[in-house]
Amino acid sequence: MPLGDYKPMTADTLPLNKSGKILEILPSPLKINLMELGFLPGKKITLQHMAPSGGPMAFKMDETLLALRKSEASLIRVELI
Amino acid sequence: MAEATLSPITQTTKIAIIGNPNVGKSTIFNFLTGLNQKIGNYPGVTVDKKIGSLQINGENFEILDLPGTYSLFPNSEDEIIAHRVLNQTKLEQRPDYVLMVIDSSQLSRGLFLATQLIDLGINLAIILNMADLAEKRNIEIKTFELFKTLGVPILSTDARNLKGLDQVKTLISQRNFAKAPGFVDIRQVIPVQMLDQVREKFDLENAYQAYQLIRFGIKDKAIPSSDRAWIENLIKESGFNLEDAQLEETKIRYKKITELLTKALVKKAEPKPKSNLDAIFLHPILGYVIFVGILLLIFQTIFTWASYPMDLIDGLFAEISAWISGALPDGPLTRLLAEGVIPGIGGVVIFIPQIALLFGFLAILEDTGYMSRVVFLMDRWMRPFGLHGKSIVPLVSGIACAIPGVMAARNISNWKEKMITILVTPLMSCSARLPVYIILIGLTVPDEVVLGFVNLQALALLGLYLLGIFGVLITAFILKLVLKTSEKSFLLSELPPYRVPRWSDVGITMFEKAKTFVLEAGKVILAISIILWVLASYGPPSKMELIQQEGEARLENVFDETQIAVIEAETNALLLENSFIGIMGRAIEPVIKPLGYDWKIGIALITSFAAREVFVSTMATIYSIGGDLEDDLTIREKLDQQINSNTGEKTFNKATSFSLMVFYVFAMQCMSTLAVVKRETKGWKWPIIQTVYMSALAYVMAFITYQIFI
Repeated sequence: MPLGDYKPMTADTLPLNKSGKILEILPSPLKINLMELGFLPGKKITLQHMAPSGGPMAFKMDETLLALRKSEASLIRVELI
Repeated sequence: MAEATLSPITQTTKIAIIGNPNVGKSTIFNFLTGLNQKIGNYPGVTVDKKIGSLQINGENFEILDLPGTYSLFPNSEDEIIAHRVLNQTKLEQRPDYVLMVIDSSQLSRGLFLATQLIDLGINLAIILNMADLAEKRNIEIKTFELFKTLGVPILSTDARNLKGLDQVKTLISQRNFAKAPGFVDIRQVIPVQMLDQVREKFDLENAYQAYQLIRFGIKDKAIPSSDRAWIENLIKESGFNLEDAQLEETKIRYKKITELLTKALVKKAEPKPKSNLDAIFLHPILGYVIFVGILLLIFQTIFTWASYPMDLIDGLFAEISAWISGALPDGPLTRLLAEGVIPGIGGVVIFIPQIALLFGFLAILEDTGYMSRVVFLMDRWMRPFGLHGKSIVPLVSGIACAIPGVMAARNISNWKEKMITILVTPLMSCSARLPVYIILIGLTVPDEVVLGFVNLQALALLGLYLLGIFGVLITAFILKLVLKTSEKSFLLSELPPYRVPRWSDVGITMFEKAKTFVLEAGKVILAISIILWVLASYGPPSKMELIQQEGEARLENVFDETQIAVIEAETNALLLENSFIGIMGRAIEPVIKPLGYDWKIGIALITSFAAREVFVSTMATIYSIGGDLEDDLTIREKLDQQINSNTGEKTFNKATSFSLMVFYVFAMQCMSTLAVVKRETKGWKWPIIQTVYMSALAYVMAFITYQIFI
């Protein structure tokens, strides 16, 4: 990937059906909950579904589909791949 | 072997089953224990304790089904249970062995919990379940590689298709569990000195147990407060950040698991893209249409399917009563049996078809993986009302019964969202309201089909359910403004793959729920039916005797049979009016008159505070007393004949029936729910608040309804 394309973003801003590689989980009381579910740096996540009008988002990770609210997804820093 | 038969081992071996949510844990539990299941309580919390028994070759095993959890970190009440059972400081209460169930297609997440158990030094065996799913995803698991590293026995099963389950039994009977050396050395993240101090004080087996106690002991109310203070002090003195340690542990553990899986997991090929049902079920518009459609289908099915067995039961108990009063000599005991006990039992049994069907459908929704999609779809629409997407599960369960609904609310970790859910769930129209609705709808709404397929009675029923939902939303919104919390609300849940429901599990759920209802609620209903019969048969002795004597005097010199019957009926009516229950009903008549009710309905309102369905059995008792039981009139026909003494019209006319239905939509009227709410909220404050607001709401809404239709 050319260096110029590197754009840090959070998972809630991923476009539908696009994937991101997790860079880090931002500090928050929910950090441990996200990590024990397997949201760890280096993992690939793909945004597969979005509930209407700002509802939850469903990410595919390791063959599982995980539902998160937008606010939780914004704790996951990713780079678009 | 002969020895074993001579001196049978009477001691029971305790085995706990643990695993992530949706890994087929309960299928294995059901296979092992069948219908030998008991539901109990853990002290201090409201999570169901599911225990089953199993006998292999004359040996007794007690199987404990722990709630699904992702880790030993106690984030929710469910997880606290798993945490507490396995960290039990009293050795005799700890399970002897633990069976860990892992979804083969989700190995790393399962191993996260499994390796924590290994670190705790638990006698463990691992079941790699859902072998079919792993196969579908072209994953090959090298079980031996896993075994080499983990050091505990590993079995592969496909519980859904009943493959490998007999091996589980063999494993249990041979006690083929093992205590393995630790997986992650916790001394990497916590100062050794601190761990040793705790180990010494509490006489713990290993460092990981000490770590669990340091990290979570201070929040566990099961631990003596002096010990908690000691731990807190230790943490303070060390100045160590435990939260960071926990994050570090998580990282290290996952890293080691990933390393292990590079050896133990072979991905044969990328799985074929499969048909994506979520494109339909999670569709922004279609998804909701399907959800409403599924709910409608369920209600219509219950309404039609349940009516056949219900009619049969209704008729059967009427016949038994008639037979008893004909076959046995007349006397107080015969009357107690024919007029109190038998109709009382009938009033319990008649709900079994509905309860079983409702819980069956809920089990199917849960088991297919659809329920978690509903949480996904509904979260956005629940939140403005202070509810969580997960509130939809208690609320939908509330359609069957508020009790499991209120208990399901424990899955919501946020206090405020949980409280609101608990407080509004009893407003959902539960199955105990169904008999009240069905009888009243049957009396006043014609059984006609409009627009070609819509049954008017079904439409009225749907209307009542919608009214309940409306009440839920309004009340929740008000509570959202009233209740305060500083906790953050969140949604993190798995959407499991769609699966065909396991019919035997659905069957067991239906059986267990019906059994619980008959044994728990049934006792109350039967007891109240008998008390009622006594209250309705006896009154202040002087007055009752006078009426009796007057009646007998009038009967002298009358020989015409019809006339005798009329006099007898009039005497009986007078007796009932002057019985203890008549006095109670009359006492509240002025209060309920504006709602269109007479004193007989007043009696039913009093008695059905214990449980709504008592309304029907009360009606049955009230109207069969003194009536001729041999003519087999069923409850509905009897109600239709009643004349309101105040208005001279049919008691159950449209206005009164509608007003009653609306009253029952909103009123608390359920002692069992109150008891559960008391337990959930740990005090009488909330159940009392709940009863007061629901009763007031019911009164006002019923009053408005009566005024509209009169």
